[in-house]
Amino acid sequence: MAAPVQGWFDDRSGWSSLRKRLAARRVRGNSPLLYVGGLLAFLLVLQVASGLLLLLHYQPNAAEAHASVAFIVGGIPYGALVRSIHLWCSDLLVLTVIVQLFSVAIRRAFRSPRELMWVSGLFSFFILLAFAFTGAVLPWSQDAYLQARVGSEIAGQMPVAGPLLRYIMRGGDEVTTATLRHAYGFHVAVLPAALTGLLFVHAVFLRRAMPEPTSERTPGTIPIYPDYLVRLGTVMTAALVLVISLATFVERPLGVAAEVTAAAPDGASPPWYLLFVHDLLLRAPPELLGVPSAKFIVGAGAVVILLAFFLPFFDRRGSRVTAALSALLLFAAVMLSIHAVL
Amino acid sequence: MPCFRHLLGLWLALAVASSSAWAEPKRSAKDELRERRAARPEAHPNTCATCHASLPEAKLRLPAVQYEKSVHKDPRIGCVGCHKGDPEDPTVRAHAAEGFIPRPPHDAVSAICGGCHSDARFIREFNPRLQVDQATLYHLSLHSKLSAAGDRNAPNCADCHGAHDVSRVDALTAPVHPKNVVELCGKCHSDRERMKPYETTTDQVLRWQRSLHAEVFATDQAAAPTCTGCHGAHAGAAAAGSTTHVCGACHEEQLKYVRQSPHAKPFEQLGLSECTPCHDKHEALATRWLVGMAADSACGKCHSLDEKVHTAADEIATLLSGVRERSEAARESLQDARRAGLLIRGAGPILDELRTQELKLRTVVHTVDKNQIRVVARAADEASLQAMRLADQARTDRRVERRGYYFALGLSLLLLLLLAAKAVQLERRRRREA
Repeated sequence: MAAPVQGWFDDRSGWSSLRKRLAARRVRGNSPLLYVGGLLAFLLVLQVASGLLLLLHYQPNAAEAHASVAFIVGGIPYGALVRSIHLWCSDLLVLTVIVQLFSVAIRRAFRSPRELMWVSGLFSFFILLAFAFTGAVLPWSQDAYLQARVGSEIAGQMPVAGPLLRYIMRGGDEVTTATLRHAYGFHVAVLPAALTGLLFVHAVFLRRAMPEPTSERTPGTIPIYPDYLVRLGTVMTAALVLVISLATFVERPLGVAAEVTAAAPDGASPPWYLLFVHDLLLRAPPELLGVPSAKFIVGAGAVVILLAFFLPFFDRRGSRVTAALSALLLFAAVMLSIHAVL
Repeated sequence: MPCFRHLLGLWLALAVASSSAWAEPKRSAKDELRERRAARPEAHPNTCATCHASLPEAKLRLPAVQYEKSVHKDPRIGCVGCHKGDPEDPTVRAHAAEGFIPRPPHDAVSAICGGCHSDARFIREFNPRLQVDQATLYHLSLHSKLSAAGDRNAPNCADCHGAHDVSRVDALTAPVHPKNVVELCGKCHSDRERMKPYETTTDQVLRWQRSLHAEVFATDQAAAPTCTGCHGAHAGAAAAGSTTHVCGACHEEQLKYVRQSPHAKPFEQLGLSECTPCHDKHEALATRWLVGMAADSACGKCHSLDEKVHTAADEIATLLSGVRERSEAARESLQDARRAGLLIRGAGPILDELRTQELKLRTVVHTVDKNQIRVVARAADEASLQAMRLADQARTDRRVERRGYYFALGLSLLLLLLLAAKAVQLERRRRREA
């Protein structure tokens, strides 16, 4: 029974021959890069799937946004699960990309011929952060409103591009109901389109930069099928288990609806990956080198980010300066974040 | 035909002439003066104000400064509106003008204010909604009678509204604004020293502040009375004789039920009002159920424990407290479910129904008829029960849903184990081959 069906399916899909070809090709099984890409792709798919489900019930206007999320959480079977998955998955995505970025930087894996992969990857990272920012605004809770205000205010301190960036983030001069519509448009249309394009470019560079899978049985290599694919599947499933466990056992409260006229309560808490910036801004003296400290810190951050795009081009063969700087930056950010939490 | 047309024209002209004559009664010299001033205020300056505003003595300057911001600042009124005299004489001689009243006597103020405020035609020019019966009502009040008898403690218009700085009643800073009026009345009525000669209590404000009226007023000023809501602003009726009408003006149903109750006759025979035997007129604490024979309940005021009637009172009290317990439990349960993030469909209408039945119950209690009360109590209990059921159902649904979470988690864990086992198996096979 099974054989004829398999034959019929093979004729139409070419599965058998693909399998044989994949079994003959080998990749370096211990290279983490081979798994991180797959993991990110999996998390992205999960994000798109849960996002589409949320989209079915979400109302993108200030009057109904919060109530519609409350309805998703309380009124739709498994709505709370889908929302939690979407939230945890976004955190995992940002975390994985940060880990990936710094591991590439510290191992200097951006060297020729992967310079453009680094650039497109870094762009994707900022698109991802934009996803996180706009997504946090959508529930239009008090926290969402505050994050929109504080986040855009901080971004607005950036030299040159600051005011424009703040205008775009707010969809106007102030955080208003237009901010919500704007964030929604970006979150479900502009950013997905941009990320798709960037990832396509990233993949094109990847194809050229990755070593071709060999057919030689050199030590450390494993066949793509089944060995590599099973390992990749294990990693993805582990991520799935992690996401579902977090969604099941750790609550992500929605909070009260935004009250635009209410006074801002103290201690608006930023997302975890910006805690160190928040901490720096809070503890800095009012002025640094004659510049308001907020402008100074954000400006310095902007310079670091700008330089980061050109990192592969500064790198000199045999010199470990770029790696050391990246490690130092990571260390400082982690320490500041821990400090902020404590 | 032309003849007929002429006749029609004549009739129309007559009609217009006669109607205008009817609409415009004879104008007084005062009206003409006012109109002249209003038409060309620059030609008729208020020299009292300009001069007094420039005086160095604060005491003499203040009235002019206050007048600038008052509701009476208008060329049709001016200083002379109250003080009379000649406003167009820029010299000190103006003080000697005929009829000039530098300091109106305490008991003459109401007549001065009433001079304009009882003049419907004049008031209408400023504010067509403004009443014109303040002076009439004030003259009925005890305040007015005492004032006329020379008692300077009894307030005249200016004592409550202010004199030169008088503002609109609906201005938030006005002492007579509904938000401030309790404080205003209390200023005298809570002052034990000042009230001593009148042999009256001074705890009205204190009691009102503890009342449900005050509680409701804090959130909705239109929904509950302050002092003036019952006593009237100007009539100042010591509401004693008319308590029933005053309360009944808002609490219509309650009054109707009391009149149907067995209390109606004895209250009437004893010359009691329908409301005050049970309720304190200022404290009006409807939040507490007054029924029952407990020490602080109303029934015990007249009935003694050895009367047969006390079992009925206790029965009603038990009925009420039961309803209350169940409705509180139902509300608590819904609230808990909401706090847990559950959205309960239909909770709104049920809570509305519960609230309605509770209000009905509070009303029907006035019949002291346990059969009537029981009917409403049952409806309230039914609403509580439904609310309870909704909350429980939502909780059960959530529990069932949680099982789905665990199922998904189990399934993905199983898949993870299988894949990991497979990976290990493949690893071993590769080692063997190597």
